Amino acid sequence: MSLTKTNKKFKWALDFSQKSRASASDLPSPPGYSQAANANYSESSKETDSNLLLIKKLWDVALGPLKQVPMNLFIMYMAGNSISIFPIMMVGMLIVRPIKALFATQSTFKMVEGTQAAGQKFVYFIGNIVNILLALYKCQSMGLLPTHSSDWLAFEEPLTRVEHIGGGISML
Amino acid sequence: MGLLSSYLKLNFLGLFKFLNSMNWFIVFFSLINLSMCIYEDQIGKFDWRQTYVGRIKFAQFDTVSTAKKLIVATEENVLAALHLKTGQVVWRHVFESASTGNIQLLHVSDKIVTVSGSNPYLVRGWDSGTGVLLWEWSLTLQDNDRADFSEWWVQQGLLVHMLPAFNSHIEVTMYNLLTGHNRGATSKLPAPWVNEGCVLTPPFYSCISGNVGAQRLLSLDVTSNVVQIISKPLFDYISLDIFEGNLRPLDANSAVPGFIIDDKKIVLIKNNDFELLSVNVADASASASIIDGSNGALLLQAWTDNTLGFSLVAHNVNTGQEVSELKCSDRNLRIPEAEIAAVMCTKTAKEQHACRILVNGADDAIHLMQQGGRVLWTREEALANVVAAEFVDLPVSETEAAIESEFDQKEGSIWAAFSRRLQTQFQQLQTLLHSFQHRDRTVENSSSNNLVRDYFNLHKILVLVTDVGKIIGMDNLSGEILWRRYEPSLDAESVAVFTRRTAWHPPYDAYLTIVGKHEETGNGLVISLNPINGELVGERVLELDARLLQCAMLHRADEEKLHGLAVLYEDESIQVFPVSSERLVEDMYIYVADRETAKVQGYALKYDGKSASAQKIWSVALGGAGSAGHRIVAAAARSRLERTHSPGRALADRSVLYKYTNPNLVLFLTEGPDPVHKEVVRAVAVDVASGAVAAAAAHRRARALPLAVHADNCLAYLYRSDKHRRLEIATMELYEGKERWLPAGAAFSSFASERAPAVQRQAYILPAGATAAAPTVTERSLTDRHVLLALTTGAIVEIPWAFLDPRRPAMPTAEQREEGLLPYAPELPLPADAVLNYNRTVHRVRALYTHPAGIESTSLVLATGLDLFYTRVAPSKTFDLLKDDFDYHLITIVLVALIAASYSTKYFASRKMLKMAWK
Repeated sequence: MSLTKTNKKFKWALDFSQKSRASASDLPSPPGYSQAANANYSESSKETDSNLLLIKKLWDVALGPLKQVPMNLFIMYMAGNSISIFPIMMVGMLIVRPIKALFATQSTFKMVEGTQAAGQKFVYFIGNIVNILLALYKCQSMGLLPTHSSDWLAFEEPLTRVEHIGGGISML
Repeated sequence: MGLLSSYLKLNFLGLFKFLNSMNWFIVFFSLINLSMCIYEDQIGKFDWRQTYVGRIKFAQFDTVSTAKKLIVATEENVLAALHLKTGQVVWRHVFESASTGNIQLLHVSDKIVTVSGSNPYLVRGWDSGTGVLLWEWSLTLQDNDRADFSEWWVQQGLLVHMLPAFNSHIEVTMYNLLTGHNRGATSKLPAPWVNEGCVLTPPFYSCISGNVGAQRLLSLDVTSNVVQIISKPLFDYISLDIFEGNLRPLDANSAVPGFIIDDKKIVLIKNNDFELLSVNVADASASASIIDGSNGALLLQAWTDNTLGFSLVAHNVNTGQEVSELKCSDRNLRIPEAEIAAVMCTKTAKEQHACRILVNGADDAIHLMQQGGRVLWTREEALANVVAAEFVDLPVSETEAAIESEFDQKEGSIWAAFSRRLQTQFQQLQTLLHSFQHRDRTVENSSSNNLVRDYFNLHKILVLVTDVGKIIGMDNLSGEILWRRYEPSLDAESVAVFTRRTAWHPPYDAYLTIVGKHEETGNGLVISLNPINGELVGERVLELDARLLQCAMLHRADEEKLHGLAVLYEDESIQVFPVSSERLVEDMYIYVADRETAKVQGYALKYDGKSASAQKIWSVALGGAGSAGHRIVAAAARSRLERTHSPGRALADRSVLYKYTNPNLVLFLTEGPDPVHKEVVRAVAVDVASGAVAAAAAHRRARALPLAVHADNCLAYLYRSDKHRRLEIATMELYEGKERWLPAGAAFSSFASERAPAVQRQAYILPAGATAAAPTVTERSLTDRHVLLALTTGAIVEIPWAFLDPRRPAMPTAEQREEGLLPYAPELPLPADAVLNYNRTVHRVRALYTHPAGIESTSLVLATGLDLFYTRVAPSKTFDLLKDDFDYHLITIVLVALIAASYSTKYFASRKMLKMAWK
């Protein structure tokens, strides 16, 4: 255990005192020990391992919004189409969360560089967009979107008239 | 998961709650909207009522009871007691308006006795203090044809009824006043000299009879047991050369029976003989009366001269000397055709006369005067007969007008604008200082100075045109009369009032025109005046040369913002006032409905570059072809002030049902005989520009009431169903459908649309009698609409249109319920809290006038009839006004406390942070 620790330490630290002990290192390597192979292997495997983990974790993050979709669907189904305080709150949450997440994309993927970063970001973006669309669909089915002409009725210009009338019952 | 479960829990709760309460919510909110009553402390805050009695027919002072009163009986069939000091109504009885309520006799002694009706007559005794009915008996005359010539008076506890038969005899019957018991049979007095010109001065009946040149003056005491005819040749009293045969009795229950011959000589009847008074009649129009003075009887005469004004003189009958303390001559007092209605004189310690004289004018105003001519109070009884009313906006205050004119001037350099700015601000400062200096003085004459528009435009002037020809300007907030103008030549039978220029255009004054008929010739009469101060302007009083068919106001104003007035003469020619406005005649149409033949004709007004002319373009017989006897009962056009900013109704599925808002539509209500169904009522909505019929409905076995309401796309009218013996109100709504015909903001032309609107119809039972109806009008018609109905019970009720809605379904679906449609119920509810005038009963409401205020929620209402009642209504509640009882103090305190708290916490927080940092 301590050996690996020192090894690790060696990896990063320059030991200038080694020189004095260089003669001692002339000793032949133990059998079955290949220095070159060992060094190479350990270095590369460690790097790929942590990278893989990171990518995996990041894919989890990127796919998170998409994974929420079924749950959101269920929530939406349960909320019903009535206009009252709780459904409105839920719909508000549904619409606000993906938008917040979209704005926070940069900070979420800050530590990522590499080949899959673009793809992850794209998937994350798509997932949030899907959530927003779902929320909008919910708003639409609840009638909260001003998509009908009746919603704009109050802003319409009143009719003007061409002919003007006067008169009444005969004054004779 | 935790999040989800919490969602679900809340959601289930919400869903459950919502499903349960949805229907109740609708019911609950509709109830909130529909209750319109006011709180007890709001009584008289927005409304006022003025009670009137009508033109005085008989008046007598009640000298017996402790509280001195004036008992009057009027042409409006009202018996009332007026307070002697203030002129207020102490008590009042409103009899039937038909001939059954006509008051024939008023006799005031310790009790009040009236004879009312016309065969059968009702004799009633009233308590003078309280007006309580004490006894009543009825009397039917055998001879119904001559009953109208009956004369009544009370003599020594007996009611005397006299019936003259011309050129033959006089029938006299006496009854016990309390029981109606006939004391004896009817006595017939032979009197072949009786003619139409005879006058009664109880108990004497006097006539002038005989051949021309040899007339005799005859008089008979009809109550005496012995027939004693006083007969004298007429030339003893007046020169026969100039005699015109006019005989009139002395006014105001003269103490001594007497009459005036030919407006010149006064003859009294004393000791069964005529006595010619040495005092001549002062003026041909003078009203004369004999009163008991301190030393002998006094002759009192009152008249109005065109130049000298009102005059009153008194002479001692015996000596012929003038009594100086009663004499009065007032140049400024104008009482047209002054007539002494009642006089009461008492003697003071110093042998002076203290008199109360009630003077009645031809303008229906009554004035109570004391000796010397000081007017104690005046009652404008003309207001009991208002025929037209108009709300007129007030001008802005001078400072505001200055600001407006400042912003109006667009031209000029920046320095000019800057100097103008400084100037106006200096002016404002000056007026402010001025107002501080003269604050105490302005309070006194606030009524005249405060005639400026308020922020919500709730303060207006009511211009009331009365039947007698008196035009009155009234403050709508206080009900105070601001100005009055008597136009004796105005026949107000059919009168139109136009506000041709509002006060919104300084420096021009408001301009109001009244179009009516001339009293004598029947020609058109145009009266133009400034509605703010009542002074004549422009055309002033203009009598036209011919009779008028109709008149209209042009829609385009000239450079002085004055709308022209187009009058259509009987020969179908038109004239425009002022002449310079003729070129503004464009796209103008006039319709004329003939009441008796049910024919409506439409005229197009054209201007050909030289003169304006009218061309008849259509004619509609509303009764149908060949159905004679149909007559138009009512015609209802949309209010000129109505602007509709709501083009449709949103349905539950969020589509729009577009309204058919044709501004040229007029609803005509006709009634006439029908060969099968006895009588039929037709309601026809006619586009009066093109003559097209937009909607129609017929009701069989019904008779129409002259009540029709037309606002926006809503039509309502009342009729009496003979089949079911009840009053019904039918409503119609016109819709274009779910597709609109014209794009938003387009110009509507009656000639461009050939499609007919979809008509929704429904009828409801009105469980009361109605005398007037009007819709509420608001600034932009966004507020709910209510229909105001004046009931025969004296209440004015407000019915929301939601109750009258013709779309009310019998079995509403869920969608219809969501839209807010109430299920159909045949009978309209008239809840007590919908009564606008709570317990202030208004009698015989003839018309309701509504006008928009400056705020969208509010509509101003004036009810005219025997009484005047003014209030304001807010059909959708005052959503744009703070509540009346809004707690300004509380909110100020809370705000101040919050600000103080936030600043103090800020201070404490910073101190704590500092302490923390040092730790």
